[in-house]
Amino acid sequence: LQNNIPAFLYLLNKRESHPPPTPSSPTRDLPAASATHRRTLSLDFNSNFCIPNPMKHVVKILTILVTISAFWIGLLETSVVPRSHTWLLPIYFIVSLGCYGLLMVAVGLMRFPTCPQEAQLLQQDILEAKEFLKAKGVDVGSG
Amino acid sequence: MEVADRAVGFLLSFISVSIFTYYTFWVIILPFVDTDHFIHKYFLPQEYAILIPVSAGVVLLCSLCMFVGFVMLKSKKKKA
Repeated sequence: LQNNIPAFLYLLNKRESHPPPTPSSPTRDLPAASATHRRTLSLDFNSNFCIPNPMKHVVKILTILVTISAFWIGLLETSVVPRSHTWLLPIYFIVSLGCYGLLMVAVGLMRFPTCPQEAQLLQQDILEAKEFLKAKGVDVGSG
Repeated sequence: MEVADRAVGFLLSFISVSIFTYYTFWVIILPFVDTDHFIHKYFLPQEYAILIPVSAGVVLLCSLCMFVGFVMLKSKKKKA
């Protein structure tokens, strides 16, 4: 690791001297990324202290589950829909949830942004770092 | 590279949409159709509508547990 630190710093310096390429590339927007990281805490005005965000997420999911099960039990009791129909509903929701997840994965795959200019610049950076290190006497084998 | 990604994504989305529509038809619409309609030929009997997802879930859970067990055993063997 001690041998890699000079290469790391070299690459960091090179990155700062590059002009930002296209405004649509999401990997270079460092100030925007730090802006979105600020939402780790959320204020609860009733009790006057900060609740961490994962806790609120769990509470949200639990309330959704409780409402859905209440709805299902209500359907069972009042028998608006035929009973055998109602017993199948939870399995149907689980299967549709799995389908929805698969669909989201597929849509994300299809819209995945590739940045060919970034790849080119990265290859150049790698070559320059290798030459730099070879000049300094450190042996950087490929792979 | 990009074309292969889009092809796989399209295939996956097609599979998921088809599974969703088939299952919706099977579970929700088919019980309201008369039993001598021709459409019942294309769908398996209703018991399979429960059996197939539950068995798939059980198989998934078992394979997950087996995978976790294998990884734990392998790491313990490597440490010893």
